[in-house]
Amino acid sequence: MPAGRPGPAAQSARRPPRPLSSLWSPLLLCVLGVPRGGSGAHTAVISPQDPTLLIGSSLQATCSIHGDTPGATAEGLYWTLNGRRLPSELSHLLNTSTLALALANLNGSRQQSGDNLVCHAQDGSILAGSCLYVGLPPEKPFNISCWSRNMKDLTCRWTPGTRGETFLHTNYSLKYKLRWYGQDNTCEEYHTVGPHSCHIPKDLALFTPYEIWVEATNRLGSARSDVLTLDVLDVVTTDPPPDVHVSRVGGLEDQLSVRWVSPPALKDFLFQAKYQIRYRVEDSVDWKVVDDVSNQTSCRLAGLKPGTVYFVQVRCNPFGIYGSKKAGIWSEWSHPTAASTPRSERPGPGGGVCEPRGGEPSSGPVRRELKQFLGWLKKHAYCSNLSFRLYDQWRAWMQKSHKTRNQDEGILPSGRRGTARGPAG
Amino acid sequence: MDPQADSPVSFLPHLEAKIRQTHNLARLLTKYAEQLLEEYVQQQGDPFGLPGFSPPRLSLAGLSGPSPSHMGLPLSERLRQDAAALDALPGLLDAVRRRQAELNPSSPRLLRNLEDAARQARALGVAVETVLAALGSAARGPGPEPAATTALSTANNAAGIFSAKVLGLHVCGLYGEWVNRTEGDLSQLVPGDVA
Repeated sequence: MPAGRPGPAAQSARRPPRPLSSLWSPLLLCVLGVPRGGSGAHTAVISPQDPTLLIGSSLQATCSIHGDTPGATAEGLYWTLNGRRLPSELSHLLNTSTLALALANLNGSRQQSGDNLVCHAQDGSILAGSCLYVGLPPEKPFNISCWSRNMKDLTCRWTPGTRGETFLHTNYSLKYKLRWYGQDNTCEEYHTVGPHSCHIPKDLALFTPYEIWVEATNRLGSARSDVLTLDVLDVVTTDPPPDVHVSRVGGLEDQLSVRWVSPPALKDFLFQAKYQIRYRVEDSVDWKVVDDVSNQTSCRLAGLKPGTVYFVQVRCNPFGIYGSKKAGIWSEWSHPTAASTPRSERPGPGGGVCEPRGGEPSSGPVRRELKQFLGWLKKHAYCSNLSFRLYDQWRAWMQKSHKTRNQDEGILPSGRRGTARGPAG
Repeated sequence: MDPQADSPVSFLPHLEAKIRQTHNLARLLTKYAEQLLEEYVQQQGDPFGLPGFSPPRLSLAGLSGPSPSHMGLPLSERLRQDAAALDALPGLLDAVRRRQAELNPSSPRLLRNLEDAARQARALGVAVETVLAALGSAARGPGPEPAATTALSTANNAAGIFSAKVLGLHVCGLYGEWVNRTEGDLSQLVPGDVA
């Protein structure tokens, strides 16, 4: 319905009220306490009431005028489905008081509350209605995957089925139980990480396997996924490493130092951890990944381009927690941290590895600095007089520029951020 | 209590503020009621919401729309009827919400709007009763609400789904009519406003 247009009830409020209709209204009698079966609607009844049907099936329906309505006849009645008048050739008079309808090859329901099949009098007034539910039974859910954040909870998600929409409201229920004992439990917090997901916030056992499955139910049937068996310790993920700092390595124009802190939530349990670092040039979308950064909280990136802003992220895999032999699940990437390599006239090779600590600079720092200063002078100096004062001003400007870039948390000039995080894995 | 008989009416500042506040609330709820109706018809599907869609007007026991003679009544009586209707509406809106939770479980906005409407009707009704009391006119007692709600629940459960949709449309329409009527009646009390 277009926004802003007054609804029918609002419109009717501005018209003089209809006199109480001389036509008998079963619904009115119903609300006054007189029991009434069938459609309960208006001056006729549609049969069947609110049927559920498979896509592609047929429907035979009737609209029968109430017998005690004086002069009432089915002559001139017609049908609409979701507001559209149905072709007259689809209906025929069964008798003087009944109009029949035959629909074939039904499409899936347009809305979850059912398709509105309505029987109208010749003047267009509504005599009765029935809601059709046309769809498909649910398919077997599959591809259940679960992860635990810091061993405190369990989040699972699944795929509903390959066929896609059922056209009927389908209820998904994630069930779980301890493998060798205990009763079935039902997850209660749905849609936490997407439409087909559920979150179990607490009371999870460790060192013992759970059985997890999904049940799908709608008006046409139900389906159950295969059972996934897992130990919470085998699917642990954690928070991204906090306090990631990226800084220059003295005046070395092709290196940056990255430092971070081990995720605090697992600090009492994380005997081993793996880290990954990824970095990219400011105006590039291609990340380079440094793998196998094992159990250390710093790394030096080398082979970088001088005078270039880099964005850096770190993530953690708490593998082997409590002796688990499984790989563990990578955390999300930390917030991007940016830093720039010092500028030089010589371009760097552009590659990147994580250098061991204590790596030596490739050339004298003073000489390199002077070269950079001369380059800056060409751009900014208004006179050719060199002086220590001018040199000191330049150094102060460099430090300020370096500090400003390190405070940048990944906002590019175009407003883009680094790559969005999804569930790592 | 008829501002038309005693003009100009002098109000205490706090009463004036309360009247303005209640009038503003009614005005706001009139807009919300329109949004509720739009959301409702959208979720029921066509022909609900189509131009010209006009199911038979239903009459719930104990609650109907403002009568044509409403405007001819003294203001105090009009406000009493407004308060009585607003007192009955929360139960009806709750009944509609429960039914819609079965019919449209994946429509959280509609369900939330219905829940909000029940609370808003209750709040406006209480505010109108407070104004009436301050003006020395007592509001009526709870009266019709239990009967109307029971009747709607019975109808909802016994009737088919199409009829349940029509009933819900009717209740949403009544809510809009009554908050709109309340806003109009209160406007005659707001100092400085012309009736």
